[in-house]
Amino acid sequence: MRDIFIEILTTIKHNRLRTALTGFSVAWGIFILIVLLGAGNGLINATMGNSSRFLATSMVVYGGETSKAYDGLGENRDVQLNDKDFNITSKGFPNNVKSVGAELSQQGETLVNGSDYTTGINLSGVYPNDVEINKRTMICGRFINELDLKERRKSIVISSDMAKELLPQSPLSLNGQMIRTTTLAFRVVGIYESQKNSMGNDAFIPFTTFRAIYNKGDKTGNIVFSFSNLNSEAENEAFESDYRARINRQHRAAPDDENAIWIWNRFTQALSMDTATGLLRTALWVIGILTLISGIVGVSNIMLITVRERTHEFGIRKAIGAKPWSILRLIIIESIVITTFFGYIGMVLGIAANLYMDATIGQETIDNGLFAIQMFTNPTVGIDVCVKATLLMIVAGTLAGMVPARKAAKIRPIEALRAE
Amino acid sequence: MIHLKDINKTYQGAQPLHVLKGITLDIAEGEFVSIMGASGSGKSTLLNILGILDNYDSGEYLLGGTLIKDLSETRAAEYRNRMIGFIFQSFNLISFKTAVENVELPLYYQGVARRTRHKLAMEYLDRLGLTQWADHYPNEMSGGQKQRVAIARALITKPQIILADEPTGALDSKTSVEVMELLKTLNAEEGVTTIVVTHESGVANETNKIVHIKDGIIGKIEENLDHTARPFGINGIMK
Repeated sequence: MRDIFIEILTTIKHNRLRTALTGFSVAWGIFILIVLLGAGNGLINATMGNSSRFLATSMVVYGGETSKAYDGLGENRDVQLNDKDFNITSKGFPNNVKSVGAELSQQGETLVNGSDYTTGINLSGVYPNDVEINKRTMICGRFINELDLKERRKSIVISSDMAKELLPQSPLSLNGQMIRTTTLAFRVVGIYESQKNSMGNDAFIPFTTFRAIYNKGDKTGNIVFSFSNLNSEAENEAFESDYRARINRQHRAAPDDENAIWIWNRFTQALSMDTATGLLRTALWVIGILTLISGIVGVSNIMLITVRERTHEFGIRKAIGAKPWSILRLIIIESIVITTFFGYIGMVLGIAANLYMDATIGQETIDNGLFAIQMFTNPTVGIDVCVKATLLMIVAGTLAGMVPARKAAKIRPIEALRAE
Repeated sequence: MIHLKDINKTYQGAQPLHVLKGITLDIAEGEFVSIMGASGSGKSTLLNILGILDNYDSGEYLLGGTLIKDLSETRAAEYRNRMIGFIFQSFNLISFKTAVENVELPLYYQGVARRTRHKLAMEYLDRLGLTQWADHYPNEMSGGQKQRVAIARALITKPQIILADEPTGALDSKTSVEVMELLKTLNAEEGVTTIVVTHESGVANETNKIVHIKDGIIGKIEENLDHTARPFGINGIMK
């Protein structure tokens, strides 16, 4: 083996410029592959990060507008969810539905604490399960609980950002204090961590309290529930159409009317996101490999020229006893050495580029005022990709060397010796 | 050692060329033979067949008792490596290898360990008086030195026959004499069967037996033990 490497080094040294140019195309191919995969991962990680703030096994149901005439009633009727829907949801599907909640909200509220105030608040009446379904992190205190709900307490949970505005000196000590909306006083029972990437600026009060204050009657707003035992796309669809039919009937809408209520199923959304990320990854590999192929063809081309130039030498070698296999091996290993060596240079540069991306746009967030999104999160590739890329390079090197090597192995010594 | 019986060889082409028309020849062990003929006589083809570099169409070729016919590339390479030492007109040394590396090469293909083959190669270079040239590349050496390196490379596997194809063709007359003297000495001292192909009568005269080949047929075989085959061949090689 050592002899083979010495031989290869000698030939490479003889053709430095040529080898470097060929190597560049391979390095470029691998570089593009790694950068693409890194950027793809960044995109995927960011999307995952943006969507993982919801409990995956949860659904939100919104009232809509009928799109079909049914039961003697015309289309385009507003559908507002109410207590009956809530009861159907919580009692009608004991196998699937776990905890049910509802959410009513009022935009543009103002919170006041002494001389400090914060406006543009979205005041929501919620159930205790909101904290787990929307994955809110409590910094101090607690979330709205069953007792708040039952006794219609005037409890409020605010975000850390609001706390900072209401009591700049020591925001957290606001917990337990009384603050005011424009009309009423509430006791702060907990402060949750503001999420940069979540929409809205929500303060939460008990659902029952909210309904009493804003005179919502039997309206429930959005119904939010977590579920279990729905593990496939098909099961989810079956559940959704069953659920839709029952709610629709309650509002005298066609059971198959898809616009009467809107169902946001976070589980199937996650499923389709998985499919999408899988597709994205595959596409990136394909693009990267196609780029790499041009590099491989370059190596193959160079090896062909090398073989032609060394025809005479191979003739001598064969005359003094080189077997076809040893010539074949020499060329293939040379091809692998060139591909892998330059491939690694490309890989290291690609990883460096990924780290640079991570340090620059990976840290950037797009803030549109309402919410902030990260376009790239951790745009790097893992060790698995590096291992795969290494294998890819060895395979590619072998393929690139195959044709020239076979050509070299087939050289007939008498013809080769004549070729001078 | 070499037994050729009715060897025929035709080069196929637009006009098939019947180059060897029934060559029958026996060369005993330790002989020093030359094959002489004009260009186009078929002597190079015969040498290629003897060196297992080319196939023949019909007949029988036994080398040291082994039938050489229709071998695979791999077997042919193996036989060439173990049985035959080649010396070429244009030396055919590998230009990017030093003298000692060139000499080592046949042993490399036998799978001999690095150190052993280096030691052996140095011994052979020493015998041919090239010790201080061991680390020089072919383009730093004279023609005579290169041919001596080639001879060392041919000898290192202890082959049964040495095939020399116009070994003096690229050398001046003084060096030619030296090379022929060297081959003669090796034949006399080591008893290596040596076959020299040449078209120069002076070179042929140095050998002990001259086989004349003409138009693909063996003409006459001269015994030449007193080296007087040609009037101008005594004590030198006519250039």
